[in-house]
Amino acid sequence: MARALTRRLIFGLIAVIGVITLAFVLEFVVPGDPAKAIAPRANSSAVLANIRAQLHLNQPLIVQFADYFGNLLRGNLGTSYVQHQSVTSLIGPRLLTTGVLALAGVIAEVLIGGALGILATLYGRVRALVGAINLTLLAVPIFVLGLLLLLVFGFRLGIAPVTGGAGAAQLALPALTLGLIGAPWYAQIVADQMQDSLASSYVRTAVSKGLSDSYILRRHVLRNVLSPAVTMIGLDLGSYLSGVVTVEVVFVWPGIGLLAVNALHDLDRPIVMGTVIVGAVAVVFFNLVADVARMFIDPRTREEV
Amino acid sequence: MRRWPWQLIAGAAVLAACAGLALAAPLFGNPNHQDLVHALGPTGLPVGPSSKYPLGADLLGRNELVRLVYGIRVSLTVALVSNATSIVIGAAVGLLAGYFRGPVEQLLMRFTDIGLALPYTLAGLVIAAVMSAGITRVIVIITVLFWSYPARLVYGEVLRLRGRGFVEAGEAMGSGGLAIVRRHLAPHVTSMMIAYSPLNAASAVAFEATLSYLSAGINPPTASLGNMISDGQTAISYAPLLVIAPGLAIMALTLAFLLVGEGVKAYNPDLRRLSWLGR
Repeated sequence: MARALTRRLIFGLIAVIGVITLAFVLEFVVPGDPAKAIAPRANSSAVLANIRAQLHLNQPLIVQFADYFGNLLRGNLGTSYVQHQSVTSLIGPRLLTTGVLALAGVIAEVLIGGALGILATLYGRVRALVGAINLTLLAVPIFVLGLLLLLVFGFRLGIAPVTGGAGAAQLALPALTLGLIGAPWYAQIVADQMQDSLASSYVRTAVSKGLSDSYILRRHVLRNVLSPAVTMIGLDLGSYLSGVVTVEVVFVWPGIGLLAVNALHDLDRPIVMGTVIVGAVAVVFFNLVADVARMFIDPRTREEV
Repeated sequence: MRRWPWQLIAGAAVLAACAGLALAAPLFGNPNHQDLVHALGPTGLPVGPSSKYPLGADLLGRNELVRLVYGIRVSLTVALVSNATSIVIGAAVGLLAGYFRGPVEQLLMRFTDIGLALPYTLAGLVIAAVMSAGITRVIVIITVLFWSYPARLVYGEVLRLRGRGFVEAGEAMGSGGLAIVRRHLAPHVTSMMIAYSPLNAASAVAFEATLSYLSAGINPPTASLGNMISDGQTAISYAPLLVIAPGLAIMALTLAFLLVGEGVKAYNPDLRRLSWLGR
């Protein structure tokens, strides 16, 4: 188990370092003069040269990369070209706001998807309907669903706020959007696992022992759903934390995705790169957490690579 | 003769209809023609559906239906091209890593890990930041982000085939490396990728729309379903059709690709274990 985990940890680190390298290449090697982005109205070449010297842009690339990497290890993601603040201090609070949305979204998708999956398994008549709902939800791009929910609940019914912000009332629709988009995957996992265990010998044994249906369901059937569901939750937390960009844009939820989009419009590359690095770390970290959690829940997975 | 699954027929029919519209797009008119007299009402707001403007006009007085047809054209082009590029690259990486093992395998699969660790939308924005807008940008972004998942699928499949002795059998018969890849591994991998490609294409349609919605893909005045939605969303309270029509078009396209995928799986039971769960 420890060996498998160390392997995963090393692979994860390699992936993060790879993403950082890519971000560096895109930020510094690709044409475009950061000095111009910082001081767009500067006419004198002396001013621009000065800025370049401050950013060490006149150094060889390998030195710049070492600097960049060293700064990263100290938690320094550089300085925003436009807002002239450290990228870390800009991303920090945004990450928290995104975290709230990510958590609410995961809870919503587990509840909605779990309910759909259990319904489809236990009641044969609704199976086709649940299948159709799943396929439809899979086909909707997340921002289209968000806008439709905003249209119906915000503008037509008037029961949800149509102005952005990070308040409790503003959380409902984006969380519901994430919940509906994620639900088909959970519904599928729950239905698959339940069907497998309902057909298994241990459930037959439990039935023949005369245990009640609800007890068997709780103790023997739903327990088996937990392991794959936990893996999925880990993956989702990572990918949602790395910015549920479109949802944040649709609902003007001030998280790291909205920060990245605005930075893109301002040509503020350090922020865009910073969000990608933070996002990649979140993805890798939560994948690892999911692996560990799964090994605790399901002993069978401990020996796998 | 097995019957064709209904999902395959339904999905293919929708895709054929969309392809027909896309090919016939120039017959509908000029997507950038602004009709300031008839398309905008006295208050400057766009007119609703009429015989001349079946889906109404957009905020700049352009025919929404014509733009929609051109948007479908962009979506289908992106889906077809980027689906092919990402799958060919992914399958090649997976095959090479699975066949050669050792340092080649380590190098390729660690690259794949990097690809899988990239946060999709944010990484899309990063690449977008250093390229100029247009269809090439979208195809490059989708290819860069989409090759790693098929690479992982193919790699897993090759390892599975190795475990069943395919490779050793080929080697025992005196086949060279390339012959083994071509004759023993590629056929399995090809059918797997055929089953995966509808899903990949569906994701590509959705991702193109997402990028263009975020102004990181195809920018106006070129019509794309995603940028039509971002243009129309400011009018969502009084002209919701400007969001709903392109939204439904994206859904129709992705749903059609997903149905084809389900149909392929229903036609070939060997592929059923490849559920759409893998994302």
